[in-house]
Amino acid sequence: MKTLTIHDWKYRLKLVSRLVTACLLVTPAAVQASPQAPTIQLFPTTVLEEIKHTGDVAAQMETGLQTVIGRLDEQQKLYVESKCEGNEGDPGCERIARQMGKSYLEMLTIMGDRLPEMETAVNNTSASLRKRLRSELGQKKTSWTLQEMLVDAQSDNADKAGRPALRGRSGMRLSDRFHQYYRLVARSGGEVNSSLAVIASDIYLDMQETSGLIARTRDEISRATLMEQLNQSFGTITPEMQEVVAGVKSILFGEDEALMPMTAPPASQPEPVDESPLNL
Amino acid sequence: MNKATTSTVTAALAAATLAAILTACNANPPRATACSLPEGTDLDRAISAARFDLTTGCEQQFDQYFQRLLTIAEGDPKKDNKAAFSEFLIWANEEGLLSKRQARELYTRYFGVKYVSLISDYSVCAQTCPRRDEVMREMNKELVNKEQGLLKVSADRREYYRANRLFQETELVLEATCEACGPVE
Repeated sequence: MKTLTIHDWKYRLKLVSRLVTACLLVTPAAVQASPQAPTIQLFPTTVLEEIKHTGDVAAQMETGLQTVIGRLDEQQKLYVESKCEGNEGDPGCERIARQMGKSYLEMLTIMGDRLPEMETAVNNTSASLRKRLRSELGQKKTSWTLQEMLVDAQSDNADKAGRPALRGRSGMRLSDRFHQYYRLVARSGGEVNSSLAVIASDIYLDMQETSGLIARTRDEISRATLMEQLNQSFGTITPEMQEVVAGVKSILFGEDEALMPMTAPPASQPEPVDESPLNL
Repeated sequence: MNKATTSTVTAALAAATLAAILTACNANPPRATACSLPEGTDLDRAISAARFDLTTGCEQQFDQYFQRLLTIAEGDPKKDNKAAFSEFLIWANEEGLLSKRQARELYTRYFGVKYVSLISDYSVCAQTCPRRDEVMREMNKELVNKEQGLLKVSADRREYYRANRLFQETELVLEATCEACGPVE
């Protein structure tokens, strides 16, 4: 079994991306609190409050990380412009490398400080969503009525531009997807149960994954900090460190990753209603 | 005399043979005996031929006939084909070849957005989650049927898109809901 380390940048990206996107959940919470109660209660006030709190915690963490990542970016730029790559013995380059290492340690510290609160918030939200999904969809619906609910919402939302792409299938960055969720919910006025079912499912599965990532990150963070402290004494920059910084930047500042939206619907045309009496 | 008697007997035998052949023909019409699947590219003609065969001894091969009609319709995809298949299945129900439920499920499997694979009487937690993988495999097969019915036969990209999207949404919601329902007992 492969040991997961804090230097695994893909792993780190997943974590940070979830933390960043969680911030975007705050506003939908306010929208859903409108008096128009949906038929299925996937987002009662308690769940909304938990999502809001998780968003607040994630926002604080994001702000802290953004500052230190900005500094790391500047230091990396200086390192490259000074032609330090392949010239590690140079005292000036060593100094820049140590500064980068310090910033990297600071990033780890921020994550270490914020993660316990984040973990609690995510786990609480996840537990609440689990309860709602089980009672509202798992126990009150059959698979047929669940499908009918999803189909009805498709009909209600003929304007497909505002629909969320689905988790893990669209290739779309999480933050973009949550932006779409926000737009959908903000427009809905609480009348799109099935879309809410999709959103709730998506958030729940993301929260589950995030919870696991946080737990593993916490386990590894002290060891990673120790490793970086050792690196500091030699004034070296590890390739993993550079990759982590580049990866986190791409999430926070929206660089690099191309959007690959889900297959678009065909050009909209007025469609005749299927009048077959056989259609279920 | 002998010659005349022989002629009479021969004529009588010939008449009897002819009568026997005609009787046999009336009992087993040649088309039905062959149960030959319709050919050509004209869907209306193919449906007429299928109707004839299916009411004259070939009803056991309903599925093969239905598949052949779909294949023929693929040659000229258009939205009217959906109505033609609807009428054909209603007719099949009226003729007693299919129950109303079978006709509905067959039509929906090929030309509807919803999935008959999801028909169930009990809750998602109780009935669907314990066999979620199997349900998803069935839905996947049904999506292939919808590709044939909605896209290749009816040229209805919009409805196929909806069916495809429903598949993805259902997969996501079932994954989350079944996770929330807890482990299968």
